[in-house]
Amino acid sequence: MRWWWAVSALVLAVTAEIAVGRGVDWPQLDPLEQRILVELRLPRLVTALLAGAGLGAAGLLLQAVLRNPLAAPELAGVNPGAVLGVLGGIQLGLVPADSAAGALVAALLGGAAGGSLMWLLARDGSPAQVAAYGLLGSAALAGLTTLLLAYQPSRFGNAMRWLVGSVDGRVWAHVRVAWPWLVTALLLAWLCSAVLGVLAAGDGHAAALGLSPRPVRALGLALAVALAAGAVALAGALTFVGLVVPHVARALCGADLRRALPAAALLGATAVVGADAVAQALTVLVQAGSAGQRLGVPAGAVTALLGAVALVVVARRSPHVEVS
Amino acid sequence: MTAPTAATGGTPGTALPTSPAARRWPAAVALPIALAAAIVLTLVLALPADAEVARVVLWELRVPRLLLALLGGAAVGVAGLLMQAALRNPLAVPELLGVSTGGALAAAVVVVWALPVPAAAQPVVALAGALTGGALCLAAAGTGRGPGAVLLIGAAMSTALQAVLLAVMAAADRLQYDTLFRYLVGSLTGITWDHARLTLPWLLLCAPLVVAVLPALGVLRLGDEAAAALGLPVGRARVAVLGLAAVLVAVVIGPCGPIAWIGFVAPHVARHVRPHADARALLPWAAAFGALFTTVADLAARHVFAPAETPLGAWTAAVGILSGLILLRRRGAS
Repeated sequence: MRWWWAVSALVLAVTAEIAVGRGVDWPQLDPLEQRILVELRLPRLVTALLAGAGLGAAGLLLQAVLRNPLAAPELAGVNPGAVLGVLGGIQLGLVPADSAAGALVAALLGGAAGGSLMWLLARDGSPAQVAAYGLLGSAALAGLTTLLLAYQPSRFGNAMRWLVGSVDGRVWAHVRVAWPWLVTALLLAWLCSAVLGVLAAGDGHAAALGLSPRPVRALGLALAVALAAGAVALAGALTFVGLVVPHVARALCGADLRRALPAAALLGATAVVGADAVAQALTVLVQAGSAGQRLGVPAGAVTALLGAVALVVVARRSPHVEVS
Repeated sequence: MTAPTAATGGTPGTALPTSPAARRWPAAVALPIALAAAIVLTLVLALPADAEVARVVLWELRVPRLLLALLGGAAVGVAGLLMQAALRNPLAVPELLGVSTGGALAAAVVVVWALPVPAAAQPVVALAGALTGGALCLAAAGTGRGPGAVLLIGAAMSTALQAVLLAVMAAADRLQYDTLFRYLVGSLTGITWDHARLTLPWLLLCAPLVVAVLPALGVLRLGDEAAAALGLPVGRARVAVLGLAAVLVAVVIGPCGPIAWIGFVAPHVARHVRPHADARALLPWAAAFGALFTTVADLAARHVFAPAETPLGAWTAAVGILSGLILLRRRGAS
């Protein structure tokens, strides 16, 4: 029954995403509008689906493997590392600014580096400590990114929008590079979900069941980095998807990773597609004003605002959030 | 073990000193000397040869700039100390109050929408935005929450503000971007007496308030339950202290933009000099180290890549990130 809710929410979000936005008047489509639909709207939709599924699943994996409800790609240093990797690569001339494959590789390297940095610093801490370190480390990485941007703004063009997370202007070429990677990682994660789920019960339980915790944790972390970095390379650092969506998925489908993982992917996709639909509607509103012609609302701004509201509500409700 | 220290004492788990006094005296001598050297260097380095020009440069540019570096750095250092003490968390940084993003957002909205605001009023706009951002975060946190919840809510709110800021910045063209540069990376370039006149009264106003909240900080250090048992309205006291920290940071953000990481590093170095001291004893040290670091960073900003001037925020961020990593490493090792 709950799956029906999730699926119908996704269908609703997809419909909204296809329907809103400028340039297409719905009932009759002339050839130009058909091209807009096929070559702009559809890849945008697929981008949002892939990125959302990747971030949602990555967040769930991190939370399960680290047994930390506050773990998320943006708090574990993966997202900021990936962003820094891509922008640094472009800045140093290692990555061509228009190459989707180069961005993917740079995001993977950066995400893995950022994630391992945070992991090395905080591996012995309590879950809340890991989160606090992650917060600080992410702030440091984001500061580096700001400096990088501030130095040569002209070279980065639309980097700002990508920094918040945006599916604007993604075409089939981007999707073609990213989808095999993300889909493979998602399938692998789903296949391994039973093993990873044992680890979520605790290292002791896993060892008692004959599973050595270290390699399994490494596998889970690697999959999470692969998913999150792939999503970041495709759509930028969409904030709070990886933090909030896994909690909703677990609330809907229980903590069993075999069911929670597809649910997190599904809900993540729904969240990003819905956020982009809202963002497009807002963009139309904003651009109706006199001065906002160049202003497009990126999907990441919507997810950040909604995620912040969700976090504030949760934190206000639970009196004992301890971050030390 | 780091967790109990952080949860109960608020002091970082650095190695215990053999004798606190042995560490305090060299610092008490070295700090004023370093500060004096930094002040003199700021004033005299690379002055123009012509006496009349030199007088104008010194009085109209260097002195206000030095004043803002000293007092602004001290204010940010004190704000960091207030936050870390009020939240009993050595990782609490003023950036998590939404103040710097609020200031940048207000400035960006005015510039990108080309609202009819004179350029001279821009620091006031940024100041108002910074205060609004801080008020938003504190209002979202409310008074009844523990320190962890306040920190989490602050982080969530400032991330959301940051996302909106980047979305607005994406619409800026090259010229507007150059105008907004200062509010992304703090800088003391082009500071005159006008800016100093905006900031200094606020700082003077805040100084007695900081002294007034110190006793409450001493009680908060005992933990929320003990503080409540002693009759302190914990939630309200915490919000008041955080609000004061937000005002201190906002006042500096108005003219200079965010001077990143000084608020994190200065209290930690102060605590390194005087381990196990309470906020009252740490206050002058945090202020002095904040002033010293900002002045030295401004010297570096002006002279390392001369004649080009690098933004001050780049230097403070570089130093702050490095020392933050070292600190984390040490906490992890102990």
